[in-house]
Amino acid sequence: MQAAASGIRIRYLFLWAFTLLGVLFIIAPLFVVVVNSFSSVAYNVFPPEGFSLRWYQNLAGQAAFYAGAWRSLVLATLATLGALIIGTMAGYALVRYRLPMPNLVKAFMLSPIVMPKIVLGVALFMFFVRIGTLGGYSSLLFTHMLVVLPFVISLIAAALFSFDWTLQEAAMDLGAGPLETFFRVILPEISVSVVVAGVFAFVTSFDQVETTLFLVRPGDNTLPVEMFLYLQKWQDPTIAALSTVLILFAVAIIGGLSLVLRDQKLPLDVGGSRTETTAKETTA
Amino acid sequence: MLAPSLALMLYAFVLPMLTFFEYSFYTFRRGKLLDEFSLTTYRRFLFDAYYQTIVLDTLWMATLTTLLALAIGYPLAFALWRLERPWMKRWLSLIIFSPIIVSVVVRSYGWIVLLADQGPVNWILKTSGLAAEPVTLVFNLVGVVLSLAHVFLPFVVFPIYSSMSRIDPALREAAMDLGAGWLRTFRSITLPLTLPGVVAAVQIAFTLALGAFVTPAMLGGGRVLVLPLQVYNATAEINWPVAAVGGLVLLVIAIIVVALCNRLLKYSEA
Repeated sequence: MQAAASGIRIRYLFLWAFTLLGVLFIIAPLFVVVVNSFSSVAYNVFPPEGFSLRWYQNLAGQAAFYAGAWRSLVLATLATLGALIIGTMAGYALVRYRLPMPNLVKAFMLSPIVMPKIVLGVALFMFFVRIGTLGGYSSLLFTHMLVVLPFVISLIAAALFSFDWTLQEAAMDLGAGPLETFFRVILPEISVSVVVAGVFAFVTSFDQVETTLFLVRPGDNTLPVEMFLYLQKWQDPTIAALSTVLILFAVAIIGGLSLVLRDQKLPLDVGGSRTETTAKETTA
Repeated sequence: MLAPSLALMLYAFVLPMLTFFEYSFYTFRRGKLLDEFSLTTYRRFLFDAYYQTIVLDTLWMATLTTLLALAIGYPLAFALWRLERPWMKRWLSLIIFSPIIVSVVVRSYGWIVLLADQGPVNWILKTSGLAAEPVTLVFNLVGVVLSLAHVFLPFVVFPIYSSMSRIDPALREAAMDLGAGWLRTFRSITLPLTLPGVVAAVQIAFTLALGAFVTPAMLGGGRVLVLPLQVYNATAEINWPVAAVGGLVLLVIAIIVVALCNRLLKYSEA
């Protein structure tokens, strides 16, 4: 009995130790960037020789990063909104309509996920060169919408699949139009999935390097492309300072998301208990 | 309702891929792209040792990355599953999944700093007496594999964790009650029942590693030439046939891996 108990304790200790190491592995590269951003010297050295804010001052003077950040924000916002609108429509069609060969249509709509991004980027580059729209904003926007569309469709379709469609019929019977029904009955029920899909789409678009690299004109770079190209030339901690700002941005997104999803079932717990199945009283 | 999405798919996916395919049959001669049908580029990829090495290096890098990500991801998923207090579960899952939101460029840069000759890892190795001279960990395959495993870790933990959370607790209790030890229970209950999750994780990690561009470009230091980098370089040199065939090879390998894993998935679920 005692041996068994100590065996359990050893296993738990082992599991704990591994978990801590795993967490260290995940955090370390981000943590070291934050430390490095306060370094007083231009080269990477550990332990730091001194601390300063000079790299933040240097960052403040880099207009290319501001322009890139603004361009990335606008592009990611437009791509996310566009993909959410057409992706929700497609998700609705996939769930509600009787389509010919539904599995094939669905597989086709999700197929860009499997495509290596660099292949997609180069293919789009060649295509846009041929039809003469390279460097145009619409080319860039359509590319980003395409990259995030499969994620949006699969998340929204999954949410619509478990939606109770008698509610839609009830709303229509009570005289609500199709759009009113969508915004007041269906959308509130799938809102969590829409938020998750939106955040995921935004982050994916904001972080695109491979597909964007060839499509932007020099001088019109998005933020990750600008950083990627900067790092090819220099490796001073200016990038660490910018990365720290981006990490804070990510923490803010996570914080905001966990506030929004506070009492919701996490998509992570597939087999977990369903906590929220009560129908909301949104119909009048 | 489906029309806008289909139109976008046609314009920004189907037509570009067809164009890409068409260029694979073009001729590239003396720095110029010529509209002459040829299969030369395909022949070179099949028989030229230079291109064979690139393909094998790509497969090797993807294999190492997948194995490392599994070696770290499986125990982490296990820990996430076994943790009893909800707040711990929440925090651990937040820590595991939140790096997805941080840019790949930032994370790869973090690994450059971490693994540099005068970086923290080498400092630990030196002060603990494990290495007298700095070990070269970055701008070679080691750095690329470590960094890629870090980037893909959430995608590995997620499917494994979800297959674990689907296991009926009664099965493990029954095995324990019948006198099976911890290891035996793990081997005959937990491991076989999580195999579908492992296969799904392999599928994601391997295909993502095959197509990885930013990390090998940043941490390879020009010494790790994998297919995505080759495709990028060829495009920049206007050698579009090589870029197109290289991309198609990448795509074919990815499709084979996905198909194989789907096969295994069906097999392991039966």
